[in-house]
Amino acid sequence: MLIFTLRRLNLFIFTMFLLTLLSFSLSFLFPGEQLINISGQVNATPKQLMVLAEQYQTDNNIAQQYIAYISHLFQGDLGISMASQLSISNEIMSFLPATIELTLVALFIAMIFGIPIGFIAAIKHRKATDNIILTVSMLGYSIPVFWLGLLAILVFSIQLGWLPSAGQLSLVFEIEHVTGIQFIDILLSDSPYKWQAFQDASAHIFLPACVIALAPATIFVRLARTAMMDVLDSQYIRAAKAKGLSFRQIIYHHAIRNAMVHVIRDVGLQFANLVTIAMVTEVIFSWPGIGRWLIESIFQRDHTSIQGGLLALSSFIFIVHIVIDFIYAALNPLARESRNGA
Amino acid sequence: MNLLDIRNLSIVLKSATNPILAVDRVSLTMKEGEVRGLVGESGSGKSLLAQAIIGVLDEKWHVDADRFHWRGKDLMRLSVDERKAIISKDVAMIFQEPMACLDPTMTIGMQLTEAVDGEQLTGYFWQKNQQRKETAISLLHKVGIKQHKICLKKYPHQLNEALCQRVMIAMALAKRPILLIADEPTAAMESTNQGQIFRLLASLNQLKNMSILLISHDLENVTHWTNTITVMYSGQFVEAGTTKHIFEQPFHPYTRALVDSSPKSNSGLPAKSRLMALPGSIPILQHLPIGCRLGPRCPRAQQACVIAPKVTNYHGHQFSCHFSLKGSY
Ligand SMILES: Nc1ncnc2c1ncn2[C@@H]1O[C@H](COP(=O)(O)OP(=O)(O)OP(=O)(O)O)[C@@H](O)[C@H]1O
Ligand code: SF4
Ligand SMILES: [Mg+2]
Repeated sequence: MLIFTLRRLNLFIFTMFLLTLLSFSLSFLFPGEQLINISGQVNATPKQLMVLAEQYQTDNNIAQQYIAYISHLFQGDLGISMASQLSISNEIMSFLPATIELTLVALFIAMIFGIPIGFIAAIKHRKATDNIILTVSMLGYSIPVFWLGLLAILVFSIQLGWLPSAGQLSLVFEIEHVTGIQFIDILLSDSPYKWQAFQDASAHIFLPACVIALAPATIFVRLARTAMMDVLDSQYIRAAKAKGLSFRQIIYHHAIRNAMVHVIRDVGLQFANLVTIAMVTEVIFSWPGIGRWLIESIFQRDHTSIQGGLLALSSFIFIVHIVIDFIYAALNPLARESRNGA
Repeated sequence: MNLLDIRNLSIVLKSATNPILAVDRVSLTMKEGEVRGLVGESGSGKSLLAQAIIGVLDEKWHVDADRFHWRGKDLMRLSVDERKAIISKDVAMIFQEPMACLDPTMTIGMQLTEAVDGEQLTGYFWQKNQQRKETAISLLHKVGIKQHKICLKKYPHQLNEALCQRVMIAMALAKRPILLIADEPTAAMESTNQGQIFRLLASLNQLKNMSILLISHDLENVTHWTNTITVMYSGQFVEAGTTKHIFEQPFHPYTRALVDSSPKSNSGLPAKSRLMALPGSIPILQHLPIGCRLGPRCPRAQQACVIAPKVTNYHGHQFSCHFSLKGSY
């Protein structure tokens, strides 16, 4: 397990190196002055620019420039937004938690529906249930997310009026911003309307999270179905049958855990996909997350913000990836061994 | 009374266009306390037959038999569930590739306690867990694993092949079977380990009067441990009789070739001369010859062999060949 952890740490450092390198090179690739791209100081006087050039070591070679950039990152300085002239790290800190919340809830919904449905399809392989599940999941996968989002708002918010269509929480609730994750903030606050606020936040997150979850859930259905079919076909299931265990016991004691091992490994890969869908959905549902902020920055050609936002978002995806890897290792004794760990 | 009496069991690989007869009317009988060898080249359907007996083949196979009696009870008349209940109570099987037969995500201890039959436990339910554990440990001792503490905590991939095989045998013993089917129990094992496993099985046979169906692709390997032997080739019945008869006076050309190709019978040959062996190799399922499937490789084959021969019984020694070697001894 120690070796497994060290390997992940190694991977983490290497990936962070590549990510920062990419984000650093973006400042050269974007049109305009590199120094302004990297710092965001569009209104700087020549004198201020001199100071900046000194800070970012633009006169030295590229390696030193990169090191200067990294040291800025370590100080939490991602520059300022070209559009609003606000500190980008502050902006990210205020927008990223909302995205974390939304994507994790969506991932949870996608897994809690997708995986069991996939298992059921595998158990009912070649029967009507299996065919229906496959067809519906195919359909779910092919629906474009912006169309689905608009449709969901039209039906559930406007026509039926069941759920709110925009934002994270009604303005009537005053919840102090502590962690940025709305649900945790609500639980931490000592407002007398805590419980109502919690319900309101749940109502707000439900629709966008479901819209995001649909496509990944259909992928989980397929992954879980294939994994379960492989497991059910394996030797140890046959041996368990010969032991005289009932079908129920085989499924609950052996098949589900082994199939989960296969599915969990692919969940990490799907998460990047899910975040992309979340970015579009945040725009549709006016969700105050980093995806919407990033898309707005792209429209405003705010190069500094794009760099910072991408770095933050990809780090988040990568951290989730690693966490899922650890869950995978906890489920699978084979992965914990050094000789098999990849 | 025979313990197991199977007559003309066929196994068909189902497919919409052309179903394949993988096992073609094979008969097998076993007496109480007997060790029978089931021998045949790789791909001759030994494992299929064994899996059909304990009923773990999946839906893509169709099994049919003229007779399937277990301790005098006609299992063909029973429903699938009743059949399963009887068989899984009395018959245990250890599969080929023991490592693949253990759940990779569970410790040996958990899998072993799971195999312990709840009906054998006597205590109240709060005592049962402890009892299960004790039973598991005593099972490990029975198969010669002394360090049960370490073994119970291990995952299958942390054990070697021979240890896994012992654990599989322990699991099979958990329900105190009357018949144990051992599918290539010593494949891919060093010869010292092979001897140990065979001795273990032999002692179980003697002490517990447990019948054993010992499956192997190597005739010589099992002769020492068996009373009787059934030979199969490419899903067809070849010959059955006592080990002595099979080894010393085989009536069927295929058995003759198997005996002749074993190193023991070749030991008198001068150095660097050719070993006796049949030309060619076993046909694949998709291209089975008609009639006697040995035909293309058989040194005695004649035109009549395009029609599958019937089983002939000669003083309890059965064989299925038109031109047997019976007259040549
Ligand atoms: N799941 C399967 N699907 C299709 N064909 C199969 C399957 N299992 C076995 N067969 C085929 O059935 C035939 C008999 O297989 P079986 O495993 O019974 O042979 P065997 O005598 O046990 O050989 P071995 O000594 O290699 O174990 C082989 O030709 C094999 O290719
Ligand atoms: S029936 Fe014919 S082909 Fe088959 S074993 Fe006998 S002689 Fe050979
Ligand atoms: Mg086999």
